[in-house]
Amino acid sequence: MKRFSLGSGAALAALLALAAPAVAQDNGEAYEFAPLPPGEGAEEVYYNCRACHSLRIVVQQGLSRDVWDEVLTWMVEKQGMYEMPAETRETVLDYLAENIGADDR
Amino acid sequence: MHKEERGIGELYSEDPERADELLWGRKTGPSRRGFLRGAGLASMGAALGATIPFHANMPAGLIPAAFAQGIDFQLEGKDPGLTVLNDRPVNIETPPHLLDDDVTPASRHFVRNNGTLPDPMPLSDWRLTIDGEVETPMELSYDDLMNDFDHVTLRLQIECGGNGRAAYDPPARGNQWTTGAIANSEWTGVRLRDILHAAGLKQSGTHTGHFSYDEHLSGNPDLDPISRGGPINKMMDPHTIIALKMNGEDIPAAHGNPCRVIAPGWPGSFSQKWLTRIWVRNQVHDGTKMTGQSYRVPRYPVAPGTDVPEEDMMFIESMPVKSLVTFPEAGTEVAAGMPFEVRGQAWAGDNEVAAVDVSFDFGATWQRADLSPPPNRYSWQRWRANLRLPMAGYYEIWARATDDEGVSQPMVVPGWNPRGYLNNQCHRIHMMAV
Repeated sequence: MKRFSLGSGAALAALLALAAPAVAQDNGEAYEFAPLPPGEGAEEVYYNCRACHSLRIVVQQGLSRDVWDEVLTWMVEKQGMYEMPAETRETVLDYLAENIGADDR
Repeated sequence: MHKEERGIGELYSEDPERADELLWGRKTGPSRRGFLRGAGLASMGAALGATIPFHANMPAGLIPAAFAQGIDFQLEGKDPGLTVLNDRPVNIETPPHLLDDDVTPASRHFVRNNGTLPDPMPLSDWRLTIDGEVETPMELSYDDLMNDFDHVTLRLQIECGGNGRAAYDPPARGNQWTTGAIANSEWTGVRLRDILHAAGLKQSGTHTGHFSYDEHLSGNPDLDPISRGGPINKMMDPHTIIALKMNGEDIPAAHGNPCRVIAPGWPGSFSQKWLTRIWVRNQVHDGTKMTGQSYRVPRYPVAPGTDVPEEDMMFIESMPVKSLVTFPEAGTEVAAGMPFEVRGQAWAGDNEVAAVDVSFDFGATWQRADLSPPPNRYSWQRWRANLRLPMAGYYEIWARATDDEGVSQPMVVPGWNPRGYLNNQCHRIHMMAV
């Protein structure tokens, strides 16, 4: 049996873009903190989260600020993460809620 | 080359020692080798998924060669058609059309890890400890398990409690499994009940706690990646085994070599991989991921997004009735008016599947499929149906299983729960008749 393709409508292209959030930048260079989407705080998320686990698990999510807040607390209480300085934690939480929020998945 | 590598490569090319510090928290002393007071060794080791025996010699600012290669990750021995959700920890699921085998080959069995994927422990070093509420605590070698106990060979379904999580809204945290965290391989091993009897299980032994030799991703040796266990009745069930072989071969590293629990029909986390110890308890085990909201659902139905207090959450035991269309692959073309076979697998946790129905008209009418009995309890069951799509156009094939208690799969996503477990929504594939 043969398989068919659904074609390349705009909706499909949008879906594909969602599935690959870290698309190449305009100048053709890959984003330095890929697969994270670009944004203020991406650097802090990159280094703090990647110390233990890959960022693929981060970009799969789409969580509200409250749930991200719980996740960061859980990481420290149960998963052996060091306690980030309050300012860094705020930057990380802002980034996650803004860029990998409940509406972004 | 993977995009992420560029970031690391650039960082190291700009200022290698600063990169060491930023990435791993690594500092070197005046020798510019090794790890000053161990700073950064654990995190580099965790990233590599291995200890570094000659770490004292490692020059400052050296990017580990393991990261110099691309990490478009693929696990050795796995079908390239599998979907990698995450590479650290390793989590991989199987698309429906690759679950068409009655006995799932190791290459197509999903992988759900919580910690590192450890190098197999040499058999001469490996022991299984049975202790706690038993008359005679035991330490068993692989040979003891091979030679001193009866063996059984069973086809057993293992499904991740979070299979289907991706469909919940608002999204639940964790790996976003779609439909592929289910498998049904043939496992050979010793019934756990026989081992517990040999150790002299006491009346006071009501639960088990399971331990393993994989390591926590943080590198902290005091943390277990996961340590779950279950009520003694499930552990004494003749289908709950300490597995020694998978499909007649040594169990692959990713699936728990040399030896693991299989507690079929319940969330896969009861089936500890890389097993080293069964601690018989006189209370519910309180190991990692036994507490809080892990593997628990609300005791009562809740609206999507509800914040449920921990005391209102209960453990998941049996997984619910479910089925997949494994043939044809979604997107296949068939000739209008010509008969063709549709088939798949169906399973129901502790129960048996009693019926599977299929529809090609968006659920307006249903046709009963032929359903094979399971070769043994806790195996999934093959179903088949012959369909004929009446005219050219777009169709969807829907499948719906019903268990032997009359419980069916819902057509829509079932009740939302905070961690996104137990989604047994009907599977559907699209097809075109030409």
